[in-house]
Amino acid sequence: SFKLLGFLDVGSVPCARESVLYGSLGSFVVGLGHFLATSRVRRSCDFAVGGFICTMLGYWFYCRYNLAQHRIRQRMLKEGMRNKILFEGSSLDPERKQTGNERSDS
Amino acid sequence: MANHSQFGFQDASSPIMEELVEFHDHALMVALAICSLVLYLLMLMLMEKLSSNTVDAQEVELIWTILPAIVLVLLALPSLQILYMMDEIDEPDLTLKAIGHQWYWTYEYTDFKDLSFDSYMIPTTELPLGHFRLLEVDHRVVIPMESPIRIIVTADDVLHSWAVPTLGVKTDAIPGRLNQTSFITTRPGIFYGQCSEICGANHSFMPIVIESTPLNFFETWSSSLSS
Repeated sequence: SFKLLGFLDVGSVPCARESVLYGSLGSFVVGLGHFLATSRVRRSCDFAVGGFICTMLGYWFYCRYNLAQHRIRQRMLKEGMRNKILFEGSSLDPERKQTGNERSDS
Repeated sequence: MANHSQFGFQDASSPIMEELVEFHDHALMVALAICSLVLYLLMLMLMEKLSSNTVDAQEVELIWTILPAIVLVLLALPSLQILYMMDEIDEPDLTLKAIGHQWYWTYEYTDFKDLSFDSYMIPTTELPLGHFRLLEVDHRVVIPMESPIRIIVTADDVLHSWAVPTLGVKTDAIPGRLNQTSFITTRPGIFYGQCSEICGANHSFMPIVIESTPLNFFETWSSSLSS
């Protein structure tokens, strides 16, 4: 598998590929924008590298945060499905309690 | 278990190992950013003329103090979180003892009944077709899945280390000392590990095999063992 700089497997690490691609795009945009504004090549390259790092890390944190939330929701869903199977029809079934309350209210 | 020429981690089978893999990915991304910056600076230096006109460099000194501090914080916070997470002890459902010998492991299940057995590696000459060389054992450690398990590790003779990479567990087995670790397996399966502390001629030939099964199968197995 392809490893960026020999150690980052962008294919298998979640969010890595998008981070590097968005980082490259950000680098190009910032570098080109600075060059068009100032016509300074050397400084534009500096900005391009800075833009790459900032965009890459920025998207990385955003993507990993969303991924972590997704995983938490997955775990809650898995736990909920297991509890539904275990407690369905029993006295501990929350749906049964809810239905019972509705009947008593009416 | 690891595939041939595998370089990265094995797939995680415990919540702690999942966190460790996530942290490793995070650290690699930070390392990529730093390496990109260093490579760029190296290229610049190669194209730059040498100069001895620099008297002071307040701005760059400020940058190369603050940036590494930020990087350290980015790495330290998740690292400490996982470190404290590893030390949490949920009330374990099962306590297991692993005793290292030259060159096999002994496992004791003494919570309910006195169950004890030795776990020797199956030699290659006796290995059934399709089984893994230098990894299979005659008696596996069977544990219930999705239950907190406590392992107390010690040794009988020299230093050993009880390690199972997919669970994120590695605990030194030291004669005269009890080391404790705990884990939860998130899925059923067979998980392989090897002794991780040099302990003599057959150090590479005393593997660890954990079989994680649903509770009813574990109960059947422990009943069969005690009878």
